Amino acid sequence: MTTATEATERVGPTSKAARPHPIRDLVIKRSLIGILTLVLVSILIFAATQTLPGNAASAVLLNTATPQRLHALEVQLGLTRPAVEQYWTWLTGVLHGNFGKSLANGQPVSTLIGGRILNSLVLVVLAGAIGTLIGVGLGVLAAARRDSVFDHVLSVTSLGVTALPEFVVAVVLVIFFAAVVIHWFPAVSVFAPGTPPWSNPRELVLPVATLVIVVVPYVFRMMRASMIDALESDYVQMAQLKGVPKWRVLLFHALPNAIAPTIQVIGLTFLYLAGGVVVVEYLFNYPGLGQALVGAVSDRDIPQIQAIVLVLAAFYIAVNILTDVIALAVSPRRRLPRS
Amino acid sequence: MTFSRRDFLKAGLAGSLAVGAGGLLSACGTGNTIKAFTTSTAGKPRYGGTLRAGLTGGSTADTLDPISAITNVDFSRIDNLYEPLIGLTPDAQPMYVLAEEVTPNAKATEWTIRVKQGITFHNGKTLTADDVIYTFQQILNPKTPGSAAAGLASVDAKAMTKLDAYTARIPCSTPFATFAEALAIPGYSDIIPVGFDLAAPAGTGPFKVKSFSPGTQSTFVRYDGYWQSGLPYLDEIVITDYSDQTSQVNALLAGQVDVVNLLSADVISEVQGEGKNILLSAGGGWNPFTMRVDTGTFSDVRIRQAMRLVVDRQQMLDLVFGGFGTVGNDLFGIWAPEYDHSLPQRHQDIDQARSLLKAAGAEDLHVTLVTSDIAQGTVLAAQVFAQQASQAGVTVNVEDVTVDEFYGTNYLKWQFAQDYWFYNFYLPQVSLATLPTASFNETHWDNSRYNSLYAQAIATTDTSLSIELAHEMQQIEYNEGGYIIPFFPPVIDGFGANVGGLVPSKSGLSLGAYDFKNVWLS
Repeated sequence: MTTATEATERVGPTSKAARPHPIRDLVIKRSLIGILTLVLVSILIFAATQTLPGNAASAVLLNTATPQRLHALEVQLGLTRPAVEQYWTWLTGVLHGNFGKSLANGQPVSTLIGGRILNSLVLVVLAGAIGTLIGVGLGVLAAARRDSVFDHVLSVTSLGVTALPEFVVAVVLVIFFAAVVIHWFPAVSVFAPGTPPWSNPRELVLPVATLVIVVVPYVFRMMRASMIDALESDYVQMAQLKGVPKWRVLLFHALPNAIAPTIQVIGLTFLYLAGGVVVVEYLFNYPGLGQALVGAVSDRDIPQIQAIVLVLAAFYIAVNILTDVIALAVSPRRRLPRS
Repeated sequence: MTFSRRDFLKAGLAGSLAVGAGGLLSACGTGNTIKAFTTSTAGKPRYGGTLRAGLTGGSTADTLDPISAITNVDFSRIDNLYEPLIGLTPDAQPMYVLAEEVTPNAKATEWTIRVKQGITFHNGKTLTADDVIYTFQQILNPKTPGSAAAGLASVDAKAMTKLDAYTARIPCSTPFATFAEALAIPGYSDIIPVGFDLAAPAGTGPFKVKSFSPGTQSTFVRYDGYWQSGLPYLDEIVITDYSDQTSQVNALLAGQVDVVNLLSADVISEVQGEGKNILLSAGGGWNPFTMRVDTGTFSDVRIRQAMRLVVDRQQMLDLVFGGFGTVGNDLFGIWAPEYDHSLPQRHQDIDQARSLLKAAGAEDLHVTLVTSDIAQGTVLAAQVFAQQASQAGVTVNVEDVTVDEFYGTNYLKWQFAQDYWFYNFYLPQVSLATLPTASFNETHWDNSRYNSLYAQAIATTDTSLSIELAHEMQQIEYNEGGYIIPFFPPVIDGFGANVGGLVPSKSGLSLGAYDFKNVWLS
């Protein structure tokens, strides 16, 4: 008894502290690295904007940029101060929740991009969710009917679509569904500032469809491949031999094991979407972050560039962490400590 | 879709041919058949409705401040919110707007401005001489000089006085016979009320602001107290910023917008093929090549003349603007009364160019041309120039830089570059571009005979004398100047069949200089 108690006392506290909690540890560690990454990104972007010739003042004044007007505006915008000082002012502002004012129009950056973050997020989440559902569904079906006509058609089509850049897909959709052949949907997605995107569902159709068409093949092919692996495994054959109905085998035996690698691809899909919206927003004139970024870069509007890049980088980091967490959650064996 | 000659004739009979410059606009020589450019098929003026405009050229730097507005799209809003003392007719001639009379003294050193009575701003204030004085003080504020400051530099802002409620006296530090013309540059000298607040912008214009988000969308509503009776027709204007022509044209074809601006020539047939109309204007704006005459290669006048002779102007228009637009003769101010149409049209002459280069000892000339996407077609025009110059053995290295670099610290210092200007009258343009004191003397032109001719022209109120002086100035520029002005670009806009009242404007601004008060929807 005594030895047993001693043993528990000796081992107890250390084992409690060392009890593996991989998800919590991962979130904490990756968040800290993420914050450091954000700071580095902001320094890089700031340095990059400093080394380019020209500045926000010349971008605003254009052909009225006499040396006097240029200088007056540079002073007004604080561009004549040392670069390190400008960065420090910006950084301390951000730490106080103040992203500064646009150099182009003097409005607070937060009000300029606040609504746009929502607009882009709606686009990304809708396209990601719909694309994932379609991709996973088609992947499961194709794997279940492997080597059928259905499977071959899907595989070849997805390979073909993969080769199409989003601007081609968008142009084709616009020609067919908006501008020339049939006028079902708006060709451009313009809605009044301040109205949420879901109050304009028609405006969302073509941009979301473009992104869905671009991302579905990746999810589909990954899902199909890992589903085929799962269907060839011993436990699936065992289940089939036991006489489990085919749909049950697919959904409850094969799918849970096949989904883990697909989750990584879905995560990558969301990451791609965060960048892919730039092109689609530009083409559809959709008032999102990507369109704002294009404009801010040509205006050399550093506070706005910084804020948008930070939002996109934070999204990247968050999606990465989330993907790993979900992948861990669905594959229990990877949660065990390695010995 | 293609059009036969019969379609062309039918369209020509059905709609009135409303090409702004009459015979000056040449249809393109590439064999395309293009439908007639109709103004409106929309019948008689009708009240009400919302005009939806899809405009490119804006950014988050868009502003409603008439003092600092610069871009074409800024003017689409500014010109409907505010009004100038003197404006331009569609033919680019001056006309009184808010002013009842603007008169100089005999030496043109003092101007008297009387404004019309009974005009109110959107905030309820009545327009008086105080507002005129206040506006000029804002434009000429040395700390935040306005877009018009350079052109009004002669105005002595400290000595302006009010003679009575509606009359102001504007003294000038040097003779300034072109004051009235300088006021007519669209969008630069609009009148704002005393104590103007950009957060609640008030003008006298036909429309007032309802909402404005830079680079995105803005809404304007009818001003019921507008002084011109019966106008405007529209209840509302919604201006949406477009990032490029593709989405803009798609929106027009899909019926999401009623009017679009600044199209390129290659979408004309697509727009017309889908039942929409094209508004073609012979703009007086100009996109010159600028050669520095003071230092370097181009200080030799023979080399400058050779560069002017290598340009095939019609070919450049064909390639850059589908053959629309007006051929230039290295002179600016094409619609001004002073413009000298008697100088022979310069044509491409490779032999002459080669012999000039040989005489200058520059047979194997290498030059760098700095270009940027500053206006429609500038980069393409630079490439065409390089191609044409190679015929005379000149190697032109085209360096394409970003817009903000182009207008950065090297602006006005480039050896060989381009620029763009909206239409201006001849002498006011000289004061901005070709005098040693000019703010935008990008060619560093400083010719003593020319300067003294200008000094005489600016000091006389005798129109025929100033035209005579201006002709001699143009003769000097034609023979020695630093500008290559191959063309005056066309302005190509699109509009739906339901839009009436659009008239081509020679100002170089789109959509009839954005004169939306005269526009109606059927």
